[in-house]
Amino acid sequence: MNIKALFKSLLLRKFTTGLLILQLAITLGLLVNSSILAFDTKGKISQTTGLDNDNILIMSTQPTSGSYRDLDYFRSIVNQDIVKLNQLPGVNSVSVTNQLPIATQGMSSNIYDLDNPEQDKTDKYLQSVQYILTQENLADAMGFIILEGRFLNKDDQLDFGSEQKRNIVITESLKRALYGNESAIGQETNNGFIVGVIKDIILDPTLPSDKQYGMFVNTVMEYIFTGRFYVLNIDPHQMASVRSQVSETILAVQAERDIFRVFTMQEHLNRFYRDDKGLADLFLLLCGLMLFITAISSYAYSQFHVSRQQRFIGIRRALGARKKDILLYVLTENWFVYSIGCLLGCIVVFGFNILLSQYISLSKPDIALFLLAVGVIFISGTVATWLPAVRTSNIPPVIATKTV
Amino acid sequence: MLSYNVKLALQSFKRAPSLYFLVLLTLSIGVGLLCANLALVSSMAGDPIPEKSDRLFHVSMNTWPTDKPAAEPFHILRYREAMKISESDIPKHSAVFYASGVYARDSQSISLKRFDSSVRATTPGFFALTKAPFAYGNGFAKSSGMEVVIGDQLNQKIFAGANSVGKTLELDGELLTITGVLKPWYLRPLFYHATEGRAFNLTDDIYAPLETAIDLGWSIHARTSSAVSYKGVQFTRDRDVFYLQAWVELEGRAQQQAFQNYLDNYSQTLKDAGEHPLNILNELRDVNAWLSELKIVDQKVLAFTLASVLFLCVCVFNASSLLLSRFHSAKFEVGLRRAIGASNKNIFNQGLTESVLLGLMAGFLSVLLSWLFLKLSITFLPDLANIAVLDPKLLLLGMLLALVTSVSSALYPLYRANRYTISAELK
Repeated sequence: MNIKALFKSLLLRKFTTGLLILQLAITLGLLVNSSILAFDTKGKISQTTGLDNDNILIMSTQPTSGSYRDLDYFRSIVNQDIVKLNQLPGVNSVSVTNQLPIATQGMSSNIYDLDNPEQDKTDKYLQSVQYILTQENLADAMGFIILEGRFLNKDDQLDFGSEQKRNIVITESLKRALYGNESAIGQETNNGFIVGVIKDIILDPTLPSDKQYGMFVNTVMEYIFTGRFYVLNIDPHQMASVRSQVSETILAVQAERDIFRVFTMQEHLNRFYRDDKGLADLFLLLCGLMLFITAISSYAYSQFHVSRQQRFIGIRRALGARKKDILLYVLTENWFVYSIGCLLGCIVVFGFNILLSQYISLSKPDIALFLLAVGVIFISGTVATWLPAVRTSNIPPVIATKTV
Repeated sequence: MLSYNVKLALQSFKRAPSLYFLVLLTLSIGVGLLCANLALVSSMAGDPIPEKSDRLFHVSMNTWPTDKPAAEPFHILRYREAMKISESDIPKHSAVFYASGVYARDSQSISLKRFDSSVRATTPGFFALTKAPFAYGNGFAKSSGMEVVIGDQLNQKIFAGANSVGKTLELDGELLTITGVLKPWYLRPLFYHATEGRAFNLTDDIYAPLETAIDLGWSIHARTSSAVSYKGVQFTRDRDVFYLQAWVELEGRAQQQAFQNYLDNYSQTLKDAGEHPLNILNELRDVNAWLSELKIVDQKVLAFTLASVLFLCVCVFNASSLLLSRFHSAKFEVGLRRAIGASNKNIFNQGLTESVLLGLMAGFLSVLLSWLFLKLSITFLPDLANIAVLDPKLLLLGMLLALVTSVSSALYPLYRANRYTISAELK
């Protein structure tokens, strides 16, 4: 096959060829970047959170009745709820908390060691550390791994209204920020004495993994109106049955409650990335449309070509070219156009990546994805040109004599 | 001549229906998708209250009592600053409020069903400042008293849309009387509370007097910052708890300057008393400046809009190459018409008529498709549900865009068609 001849033949229809090349380049740019977006999102959703994602069931609820303004009443209902939920077969542990991991908003406080009050000026992440109000069962319910000391116990819940310093449990990265490699047990911070350190969990996915600062305090019963979430640890095989019973169980204790949602920790993670997933899906949808349009263009391009080149192809056939040769010729010509399109596409891929990065976070393009996208374009293009190519190869040699 | 051209165009459509259908489809998908995105962007970047957006100012002050946080003005204020703003007679109107939530039911109803309702606990100036539209009754006159104004949606839910002024609601166990009911009220974005990702929320269900809400201990459902611990909103009046937002309506530069001085003087008195360790930094921003400061336009939608612009380009390229092949195959006809006397201009006009007609059809189809894409976008990005509206302005833009793309994709093919030599084509 003579590339020079091919090139000359393409130059005869600069406009349509140019348009198709531009289209191919843009399609490739979109295809590669959409795939990057989709893979990025998939990576986020399947990240390790340090939690037992599939075995944690969460129920978010809110009282609807004014009776709950009496906090003693509120507490007695919550205590009954916990007992009843614990009695469900398959439930290993039940706890209450004011906020969940994997969230950007929530209660937070600054923290520093009392001997080192300037600490939170040098590390800005120390100015806003997640402050989790809970009770002693949260470690079991969430599956925390204790690295040092212990988790909160019943005695850490002080008398309501007490001004006494509290005991707190902190995350591993917070310990490292405050005390480096030293032990944190018994240290006194502005928020109380540290009694334990747990292995890091993803508290706020938008922060770096070594800035997952959080502290746990046994005060949810004192400020029971903040206890919006029941957290249950469930036997893997019993999830479905427990899930279907939890709402009824607490409504049977007291019916005047709104139950917003019942969800697993994995669903909570998915929901956190719902918009990222939505955007990735929208981009993939656009890719589908783009491929469709580009396939139409490839088809129209070849078709146009056939109608214009009937005479030349007839002459070729008359001079001895076989059907197979003509078929190969038309396809090669298209592949040549695709190759130029994909070369130009390289630039578009990077350009589009940089442009999109102004608005959303996006990984850099990688060669495997690029090759994959090139493959998809070649295949869809070839499928689209197959029919016109076959039609071209069917041009009888006699056309040559007709049109000379 | 026009009717003749239209007739010819229709004949041409009939002769190659599948090709024209593809052109139509391509253009309308491209325009429809872009329009759907522009609808989202224009809702997000729109001016929610154009008649007075340059006179309404959000107040930011940095009265944090220690020098710990970065020295930037806070969008939330303490009760004492909020009261200082409220009592000033410089602004025409002022509103100081926080967001809360309660469960509501008609106290006379036999049903115990209660509705989750968002609450704006505010000073009475709110209604005049935001031009809240009343269907029945009016706003409350004082910051205290067991009275509320309710929004249309809640009124629909509890009273089936009837005039409920004078009725009593049970809100978290307390009885409050309705003094006014609002008409359906849309603010896109919700300028008065655009922080904490609420810019695209609906207007509130219940508007309650600020002091009443504080006394009843209705919890704060938005960002709070405090330098001290406190047990509930009822204990916040004399503490360093920052949770109130303030808006003022100021007419003209002079008033704006006067109010700025008023705030700065207040901060100076705090400083003199040793209660204001940070530099004095009080800022007034009008609605649009405040919204752009908050960068509420969703970056994801912007990214997708960018992609849909590229997509529209591809669609135009595609339509252009399709039309080129169409004009090419019709060149015998063109040659014939030229031979029997039609001028190049006639041929051009005829082609133009064809593409305008095509553009109009694509316009209608794209309006339909943009509605569909809008629905699709909000299934993928559900947070945007409240702003996904196609207003007439955008429908017009869609039509116009379809027309422009259709004509522009036909330009080169038309130019080519005009250059065919008559003799060659007739041979």
